Amino acid sequence: MSIRSLVALLSAAGLSIAFGQEQARTGETIFRDMCASCHGDKGQGVADKYDDPLYGERSLASLSKYIDKNMPEDKADTLDADGSAKVAEYIYHAFYSAEARARNNPPRIDLTHLTNRQFQESVADLLGSFVEQPAAGERTGLHAEYFESNGMNKKSKLKKERDDAALEFDFGAGPPVEGCSAEQFSIAWQGSLIAEETGFYEFRLRTPNGARLYLNREFLNGDRNFRDDSDARRQPALIDEWVSSGDTVREATARAFLLGGRRYPIRLDYFKFKEKSASIKLEWKAPHAVWQVLRAPHISPARAAHVTVVSAPLPPDDSSIGYERGSAVSKTWHEATTKAAIEIANEVVDRMRALAKTRDNAPDLVDKLKAFGATLAERAFRRPLSAEEKTFFVDRHFDNDLPPDVSIKRSVLLIIKSPRFLYPEFGGKADDTTAATRLALSLWDSLPDAALQEAAQKGELHTPDQIRAQATRMMADPRAKAKLKEFFHEWLSFDEAAEINKDRKAWPEFDDALVADLRTSLDAFVDEVVWSEASDYRQLLLSDHILLNPRLAKFYGMPAPAEEKFEPVKFDPAQRAGVFTHPYLLAAFAHQKSTAPIKRGVFLTRNIMGRFLKPPPQAVAFEDEKFDPSLTMRQKVTELTRNSNCMGCHGTINPLGFSLENYDAVGRWRTTEQDKPIDPVADYTTVDGEVIKLKGARDLASHASGNRDAQRGFVRQMFQHAVKQPPAAYGPDTLARLHEGFTNSGFHIRSLLVEIAVTAAQFNLPPAEPATSTHPRRFFGD
Amino acid sequence: MNIRTRRRFLRDLGLSSALLPFLGGLSSLRAAEAMKPRQRIVFFLSPNGTLPPLFWPDTNAEGITLKRILAPLEPFKNRMLTLKGLSNKVRGDGDGHMRGMSCLLTGKELFPGNIQGGSDSPAGWCKGISIDQELKNFLQSRPETKTRFGSLDLGVAVPNRADPWTRWSYAGPNQPVTPTDDPYQFFERIYGSMKDRENLASVLDEVDEDIRKVSKLVSSEDKALLDKHLTFVREMENDMKEPREQALVSPQVKLEPGVPNDNDSIPKLFRMQTDLLVNAFANDMARVATLQFTNSVGQAKFRWLGINEGHHSLSHDPDDKAESQEKLAKMNVWLCEQLAALAQKLADTPEPGGTGSMLDHTTILWTNELGKGNSHTHDNIPFMLCGGGLGFKTGRALEYNNIPHNRLLVSLANAFGHELHTFGNPDLSSGGALALA
Repeated sequence: MSIRSLVALLSAAGLSIAFGQEQARTGETIFRDMCASCHGDKGQGVADKYDDPLYGERSLASLSKYIDKNMPEDKADTLDADGSAKVAEYIYHAFYSAEARARNNPPRIDLTHLTNRQFQESVADLLGSFVEQPAAGERTGLHAEYFESNGMNKKSKLKKERDDAALEFDFGAGPPVEGCSAEQFSIAWQGSLIAEETGFYEFRLRTPNGARLYLNREFLNGDRNFRDDSDARRQPALIDEWVSSGDTVREATARAFLLGGRRYPIRLDYFKFKEKSASIKLEWKAPHAVWQVLRAPHISPARAAHVTVVSAPLPPDDSSIGYERGSAVSKTWHEATTKAAIEIANEVVDRMRALAKTRDNAPDLVDKLKAFGATLAERAFRRPLSAEEKTFFVDRHFDNDLPPDVSIKRSVLLIIKSPRFLYPEFGGKADDTTAATRLALSLWDSLPDAALQEAAQKGELHTPDQIRAQATRMMADPRAKAKLKEFFHEWLSFDEAAEINKDRKAWPEFDDALVADLRTSLDAFVDEVVWSEASDYRQLLLSDHILLNPRLAKFYGMPAPAEEKFEPVKFDPAQRAGVFTHPYLLAAFAHQKSTAPIKRGVFLTRNIMGRFLKPPPQAVAFEDEKFDPSLTMRQKVTELTRNSNCMGCHGTINPLGFSLENYDAVGRWRTTEQDKPIDPVADYTTVDGEVIKLKGARDLASHASGNRDAQRGFVRQMFQHAVKQPPAAYGPDTLARLHEGFTNSGFHIRSLLVEIAVTAAQFNLPPAEPATSTHPRRFFGD
Repeated sequence: MNIRTRRRFLRDLGLSSALLPFLGGLSSLRAAEAMKPRQRIVFFLSPNGTLPPLFWPDTNAEGITLKRILAPLEPFKNRMLTLKGLSNKVRGDGDGHMRGMSCLLTGKELFPGNIQGGSDSPAGWCKGISIDQELKNFLQSRPETKTRFGSLDLGVAVPNRADPWTRWSYAGPNQPVTPTDDPYQFFERIYGSMKDRENLASVLDEVDEDIRKVSKLVSSEDKALLDKHLTFVREMENDMKEPREQALVSPQVKLEPGVPNDNDSIPKLFRMQTDLLVNAFANDMARVATLQFTNSVGQAKFRWLGINEGHHSLSHDPDDKAESQEKLAKMNVWLCEQLAALAQKLADTPEPGGTGSMLDHTTILWTNELGKGNSHTHDNIPFMLCGGGLGFKTGRALEYNNIPHNRLLVSLANAFGHELHTFGNPDLSSGGALALA
């Protein structure tokens, strides 16, 4: 090879190297050369340089612009717009965007145990499945039977039957109904109590006469009303004030833990025997409510079955990923569920007659108990029991000389403590019974009912249409209503509102009763929208009316309804819009005396706009007294968060919060603050980098209701609440697909929940097996 | 006969492992242990900072002069030790309240996280074990100091949610300990119900077997959760083997029935919890206890003192707002009175199997998530120790120059014979234990 040709070759190689470098200036190489030293090779961050992993929710365009302007730090001009765009595109798709993160670290369906709510609901339905569940009916009030007595305590002549709407009576010295003796009479009220919320309920009984209150006791065949207090022999009363004390009006209280969305048997037995006067009043205090007379619509004359409510308190569920789920076990949880198992085992023995349809000393007692145990295990485990399992969980406990009640107790303990009950889905192949399990959890937080079990057994819970048909049926059940209600409480941060505490000097009328009314008002409004035919999510944000009773109307300066109940009242649509201008939330996200734009903004950012916020880089408390008192709240917040470290998130939080500055700390409309006009106008930057001028709450509502990210955020939050797993674990496009369906349905909330449940239920189901129905699997006990 | 078949044999007789110790009597080890004096510690937390001028005692030639907040402890003045100038210097993720709470007994940072509870400042759980659990593990690892529970993790009016504001005791990284704030639940736990236990003991073997079977069906990632579950089942099996009611030296406390677990019952709840605690100590069920009053940012309303505002809201008011300062003073005095009542109960109870009173063998440590409420400082955390459990020289008010509180945690371990040199973040432990003996 000649020197000349070597030179030519080298220069050609040199050229090609130079050319290659130009070509290779891809986003990836730029990142490696100029960014990775501070951000890490995969954007994971570098200690002492830039610690935080590189991810966020800027759009590609906005990211590109940001890099061009600011990066590399202190040498921003070494990277031009073209290079910035390339590197932005690279990092966006490699690790920055939510999609990239989901791809790099795909979420999976984690093994979880029943949440507290799922445990409670499952136990209630497990034992409830062994007794008849009477229909709820349409009537309200309690069924009352008025008797003339023949001697103390004997109901002799039935004088009147009717439904009483409220449990407050003052008969004075007269008879309770016409034609009845005024001296001695007796009344029995019975039916069911409807509990809306899960929690402790308090009861207060006042009477100068004799009365006993029974709640959630089992009515047994043979309980008759011929004699006062006929079931007292078997059932302990919740309040026992049977013996009067002169003419003194006595007061007694008691409390009970009840699960929301269920009916409980209630009976109030009452009699007068020669006291001077007769009166009785039963009040209650539901969670988040104030004392009031127990009245319709919270009572119904329809009978109800006893509900098994585990009283052992369970430790709060792990909520470290933003929603509650059973992803952690602790000693406390183990002990609490053990205690619950003991309680349930004891209850089974106490109620042997009703549950196992047998009694002590019956000749077939052991057979009946074994059959009961096997059915209990099948229902608790949500699938048929093998012969081996039947021996393990039930029969072997009877293979000794222990009394049968001890044997069944031990069997029940083992069943309730089994991972097969506590972990609803623990591997194995998914099949129709898995679909039934998932539907029951997503829609009810509970166990499959008989119809679901039957469909699964017949192999009719397999295709999306079959599953959807069941889900649609299940939506009509009160348990679905209760679960949706719980979701909305979470979405709207009702927990936060439970702690409302306002300056009583500034607003003396803003008391516990008013707060309770506000909660009722918002709850009823959400119910109204969700259960209307349109069930339109946008209405939650855009509605131009609020439900007010006279007290609320007076406080908020609105026209008062004529009657003592909640009526829709139209407001000025320029002043308010939908849920987040509801005074319950406005007051909840506010300080004692002043507004809290940051609290409001964080709530709006996360819950309403569906955006994510990173943890604040530094903790800063808002301390009102540190500011010049002549500043407006908006000025104070602006001052507090002006640091560019803060503005990363507060650039989003503050404008949203400021747009609600027209509402004071109790949610009243205002146009000035300290004699300065309120400025609710703010520039809000969307996820896509678009800047929108919000002129106040109505503007914000219009934007949110039509915004894709807000809608998706709503879908995501509902999915997490229903399924307790991340949507992406069901495929990367799950959210997008559900959002598309949601959009096509006219943003129908109930349909969305159905579709979420169907998505979860059919996940990984194998193709339908041919003709399983000729050999149906045994499911129930006898 | 091994333990398993022995248990099976007993079960067939209608007896259970819960009764085993009564058949065997106390082990000779435990009898011998009576010779060695017991040491106990109670960690008591109140939130929202203190009022420094009313808290820190003066020192003079005669000893110390107590100020208003600590005045209820006057009868125990010579058994007290206050430590000023200790600061919680743990930094990192989490707001000041979270770290004030979750780093107080751990001396270690929080994991990054996104817990999105009641406030705007997310973080995760603590990265380390807390000193109470460290002591528990140490004492439980040695037969002569092993007790049925090791530690009793208690609270009064703790909100029903789990986050770094409501937990200060940690069994390890990411393992917050849930305090029991319901006295009836605490009662059940320490005295139990013989019959239920018997039934339970008889099925735990099978629960164990069942979990192992199910474990084979799950993925390796998920297996960890079931393994953890299984360890609790086994712990419970071991628990069952420990002595029961018949072995009680001090008779069961009788609780007033039907006291609701709510704000207005706090005075009653305090008394019930401390009565049970003293009894559990007297029966040597544990040597370590935590007692957590509400939580960080706790909003108890001291209505029994005529104060209707929440504790936390008041704690934000500035120093010159006399009315709020007076209310906070009253609240802190009331809390100290509860401590004094606990100290009195211990002082009035002779040490079982030992000499002197139980207070001679027990140290109560009162501390706080913050140094001062309205500044949210982590400097000068109020640390007050009372009693003779640790062998520290008492009747003193010591002052340090703004050093990390980790060094006190090291001293506590050393006082139990646990020779640690650092605790929590090692950098914050430099200098080692404080000389307190």
